Amino acid sequence: MNAQYVIGVDLGTTNCGVAAARIPAGDETAQVELVPVAQLINPGEVSEEPLLPSFLFAPGTNDFPAGSTTLPWDSAPRFVTGTLARKRGSETAGRLIASAKSWLSYAGVDRTSALLPAGAAEGVARISPVEASRRYLEHLRDAWNHARPGVPFEQQRILVTVPASFDAVARDLTERAAADAGLHNVVLLEEPQAAFYAWLARHEDWRHRVSVGDTILVIDVGGGTTDFTLIAVTAENGELRLERVAVGDHILLGGDNMDLALARFVEEQLAAKTRLDTMQLFALWQQCRAAKEALLAGTKADHPITLLGKGSGLIAGTIKTKLARASVNQILLDGFFPEIPSTEVPQRQRRAALAEIGLPYATDAGITRHLAQFLRRQGDGLAMPTHVLFNGGVFQAALLRERLLAVLNAWAAEAGRPPVRPLDGEDLMHAVSRGAAYYGLARQGRGVRIRGGIAQTYYVGVESSMPAVPGLAAPMKALTVASFGMEEGTSSQVPGREFGLRVGEPAEFRFFSSASRKHDEPGFLLDEVGSELTELSPVEVELAGDAGGFVPVVLESAVTETGVLQLWCVARDGRRWKLEFNVRERVS
Amino acid sequence: MARVGQAFRAFFGILSGQLPADIAQSFGWVRRDAVKSAPAAPPPPAHKPADGALQILGILQRDARLVDFLMEDLNGFEDEQVGAAVRGVQEQAKTSLARYVKLAPVIDGVEGVYTKVEAAGPLAKDGAAIKFVGNVPANGKAPGGLLRHKGWHAQSVDLPKLSSGQNPAVVAAAEIEIE
Repeated sequence: MNAQYVIGVDLGTTNCGVAAARIPAGDETAQVELVPVAQLINPGEVSEEPLLPSFLFAPGTNDFPAGSTTLPWDSAPRFVTGTLARKRGSETAGRLIASAKSWLSYAGVDRTSALLPAGAAEGVARISPVEASRRYLEHLRDAWNHARPGVPFEQQRILVTVPASFDAVARDLTERAAADAGLHNVVLLEEPQAAFYAWLARHEDWRHRVSVGDTILVIDVGGGTTDFTLIAVTAENGELRLERVAVGDHILLGGDNMDLALARFVEEQLAAKTRLDTMQLFALWQQCRAAKEALLAGTKADHPITLLGKGSGLIAGTIKTKLARASVNQILLDGFFPEIPSTEVPQRQRRAALAEIGLPYATDAGITRHLAQFLRRQGDGLAMPTHVLFNGGVFQAALLRERLLAVLNAWAAEAGRPPVRPLDGEDLMHAVSRGAAYYGLARQGRGVRIRGGIAQTYYVGVESSMPAVPGLAAPMKALTVASFGMEEGTSSQVPGREFGLRVGEPAEFRFFSSASRKHDEPGFLLDEVGSELTELSPVEVELAGDAGGFVPVVLESAVTETGVLQLWCVARDGRRWKLEFNVRERVS
Repeated sequence: MARVGQAFRAFFGILSGQLPADIAQSFGWVRRDAVKSAPAAPPPPAHKPADGALQILGILQRDARLVDFLMEDLNGFEDEQVGAAVRGVQEQAKTSLARYVKLAPVIDGVEGVYTKVEAAGPLAKDGAAIKFVGNVPANGKAPGGLLRHKGWHAQSVDLPKLSSGQNPAVVAAAEIEIE
């Protein structure tokens, strides 16, 4: 059966969105529509909502009345997914799974082991970050299939977006989660690129809006992550081309942090008068979010915050306070978007030696500092873009867009460059899923494609053959196996080095990536594993057969049509073994 | 608060059984009763007719803490303090009421202006939909008069189906926090 739709899935840290377009026959124009997702919004109440909050709740026996978590397609789901999960989870955090996507990209833990909910009491069943991602996809699949019988989700052309900063392992795990959900051959697309596709689709005259030599900076601030991408406009045979030339590091910092920072601030103000309980803190967080949106959109000097009394006494304990515009400006603008010179770098706090296992949140909240570092890393001096495209709900506030633009323009002036021009955004909340659907159509030959390839350069560790010094590990060198920009559907043999693999024994390679070293060609050997390289999960291979044999192999890297990096060992006689990411072992 | 107050009088009317049958029917349980009494329906009635009223009380408490508010003794509180709390309660109650009950005026006119009975549309023929006050003729009918109150009409009610484990009489569960 042929696919009838292309479906873009924005598998977000805090919200998932779906957009779809019927694949047109002939010369028809395709229409991309947002697809609402049916989910439980209250016990016993299923409703179609524009987004599926990325939360899972593992209900205990008393969390919901019997039969009230029934979905039209599942009479007794093991997990509650979406709005109701988020609601109930705010009261019982120990059963709530949130930010699964951030865990998926964290090499510090075994991402296939059952470790979520992170703060669960003993006895609460846990699942792995991969399984959590699978369950979101399954929910989207089932909701679609329920609403559209006869058009099975799993048989459509599906595009799943990932942060540009996701490394090869996190992409591999995302693909695995999709396969576990019965979605084979999903195509992965980077979120900032998806946002840019949405812009392209909205501006058919884009060729007149940008010109050769321009670079477009996409700044995508989601609920939990911040992602930077640079797209260059080039020309080939007189045609304009778009090329993704750089992506930033994975920064765990987003809109939720901003709301939380405001809530903390108000809580401190109130601390002298009263101590808030869990429910009130949650209410405060919601109210701060609403107050932030109202203040950033309007001109009022402050916004009331009212927390109803604890217990059944409503009026008796009502706490009333205000969030002032000045505080919001100070906390958000100066805290998250400080006006800094382009030479400033993010502060790194030293982490405690025995850090609790948890997500590696960014220690510096200054998004502009992370941005300066990103632009400085692209070569000599500051790589100033000519245009900027904002994405993510955070930027619905014009004030924040203006601040970022002001900071960029200060840097441009400093570097003697013309001011950066903003590109009018798409719908900031849904551009990623929409853009993914447009990309799906572009892959069918309908529309321009951004050339990008892989977003990082990859290396395997090679022990140097120095004479052993007792008590010291042999220094590690890094062999380039795949270069930044390697395109989908291509492969490349790594010259200059042959490895001997023992049959019947697992062989393991340490595996590294770098977003900043973009010119290392396969086979290039780095003498030292420096700070530019990030260690990922190791890769391993086991040659089946009788133990004892010895096979010389060379490495080969390949990028699948769906955008996933694979490493292979190739013997002289042409036999091939795929290297698998070993996410079980903890990288220390 | 007028809307919510009106709605509440309606719900308490339902609770005490004083509501006209046609409105009760529009709330969905007279019909449901009929289904239950049909001989073909084998399962015993799991839910009682008042459940719909209790359910909406539960919803308004859950979303807006309206029952907490109505049951609280307001003596001893300053108006300002009451006002601060009520703003949020009203906003939430209005949102969730609108979600489940589609309310519209019986006559969508300007209060204080001469209005014909026909302005009520199909409801003009419904004796319960228009109440004449003042100098009412002996036959109890009049072609029109000054519109004193627009009235409210629940055009549709869309309450979530109660599951077997739900007890609508528990309007709000007691909460115990384990520290």
